[in-house]
Amino acid sequence: MILRNVFVKSLWDQKRSLAWWCLGIGLVIIVTMLFYPTMREMTELNEMFATDENPLMKVFVGNITDFTSPEGFINSQLLIFIVPLLYIVFAIGIGSGSIAGEEENGTLDFLLAHPLTRESVVVQKFLAMIIAAISIGIFGWVSLIIGAAIVDMEIGYSRLAAATFGGVLLGITYGGIAFFLGAALGKRSFSIGMAGALGIGGYLLNSLGPMVGWLEPFRKISPFYYYSNSDPLINGLDWSHMVVLLVVILLEGGVAVLTFRRRDLAVG
Amino acid sequence: MDSVISIRNLTKNYGKYRAIEDINLDVMRGEIFGYLGPNGAGKTTTIRTLLDFIRPTKGSVTVLDLDSRTDSRQIRKRIGYLPGDIGLYEKMTGRQLLKYIDGLRGGLDWHFVRQLTERFEANIDQPIRTLSRGNKQKIGLMQAFMHTPELIIMDEPTNGLDPLMQQEFYRLVEEMNKKGATIFISSHIVPEIERLCSKVGIIRKGKLVAVEEVEKLKEKAIRKITFVFDEPVSKEEFENLPGVRDIEVEGNALKCTIKGTVDALVKAAGMHKVIKIISADGNLEEIFLDFYAVGNK
Repeated sequence: MILRNVFVKSLWDQKRSLAWWCLGIGLVIIVTMLFYPTMREMTELNEMFATDENPLMKVFVGNITDFTSPEGFINSQLLIFIVPLLYIVFAIGIGSGSIAGEEENGTLDFLLAHPLTRESVVVQKFLAMIIAAISIGIFGWVSLIIGAAIVDMEIGYSRLAAATFGGVLLGITYGGIAFFLGAALGKRSFSIGMAGALGIGGYLLNSLGPMVGWLEPFRKISPFYYYSNSDPLINGLDWSHMVVLLVVILLEGGVAVLTFRRRDLAVG
Repeated sequence: MDSVISIRNLTKNYGKYRAIEDINLDVMRGEIFGYLGPNGAGKTTTIRTLLDFIRPTKGSVTVLDLDSRTDSRQIRKRIGYLPGDIGLYEKMTGRQLLKYIDGLRGGLDWHFVRQLTERFEANIDQPIRTLSRGNKQKIGLMQAFMHTPELIIMDEPTNGLDPLMQQEFYRLVEEMNKKGATIFISSHIVPEIERLCSKVGIIRKGKLVAVEEVEKLKEKAIRKITFVFDEPVSKEEFENLPGVRDIEVEGNALKCTIKGTVDALVKAAGMHKVIKIISADGNLEEIFLDFYAVGNK
């Protein structure tokens, strides 16, 4: 493997962790899908959630009233919570390590001793984070297809791709928060904690919104809203929602460049 | 001679803490310059300003006639840098790391890299995380030297090297210098600077207290001097002589330290019959300690 630049090197650094994450996400998705034949028969679940008796449960399964159709099953069991969570955690891990991690390890001085601009280091590392997150997403998508094939589920590959794409963008959005905080402040743990807290906040805001009246208008500041509200598994991608996430990601990259090139670097 | 590093009125504050204050320094082409000071004096702060890792609160720095802020990439293209407490990519082997740098820089002479590997007896085929501190330092040194830059800046370069490797390092620095490289070394180890450097800057609590050629500085050094007479002498005769301190009289022998010219002392001693004079040449360590002793009073 020839490591010609920071971008390739950053992906090379991730190769082992990427493999484990792919395996983990694949297992979570396929094992969950194996329960589909059992769940398909449990139509009483739909009735239980059709009433408003369990409002709190909706925080964890979303505003879903259908658990037994292929879309309902995948949404409620995987795409509402666990799969985007995995994408987010993965992306935050990479995002926080990109600049802040190198700074804390003392390798940033070493890297920048060579003729690279700070801007180029940030851009290359940001792109590497995006590509790593997309790789995980592709693996998740393939796992969904394999899982669906095993349990003989009828669902379109393109819809699965649409939902996965949204999930990956959501992951990158939160990874981007960790990235720019790390680039701006050079503190890895802080950027993980902050991005994680914002992730939980965003999730709760979006899922409690429909039930708590005064929260409703604020749902739109949660990235989760743009990921799940249009229900891509059923309706396909809502591009206007994707564009919101893409713009946020671009802004995060931009802020990372601007803040990183202005500040003093810490000694590792 | 042209100035390769030129520091003007450089001050760096961290909040209220003043890391370095009003430093003015020129390092000329072809010099081996030693930047001497104890830990925490501001050596690393100064060096990291040269590389544009930190930005001056006041003042400016030019390296190779380029501005440290606006032309940093051009500067870094032409210099080699060894950070103090170097952090290397632990998952990589030395070879992978050096290849990566070649990827970033291009045009590396691998024949020279092989020579460096042999001379340092460096292990470049094992993951860096498995290496000892000294062996990591060797890889750090190799990456600073290997593209034969015209200026090499090293922060505490012999950290962790065993004495044999230190000697090899000194030889290598001298060879690179003969081939035209200017060398800037920070160190808290006085004999190292004395062994290697033609000129020295002494930094103390963020201020540059002296910049001088090592030889000239030695001439100014405090020297220990002992006179042996044919009869006992009294201490009083030698007190109040210019530059004379720490007088001890033991029988026929007079021991003291002298700073500057020995003329007055020799003339005072000439009043007696002098059997022998023992004079130790001044060394940098004493000068260095003297600077700190004076400064701390």
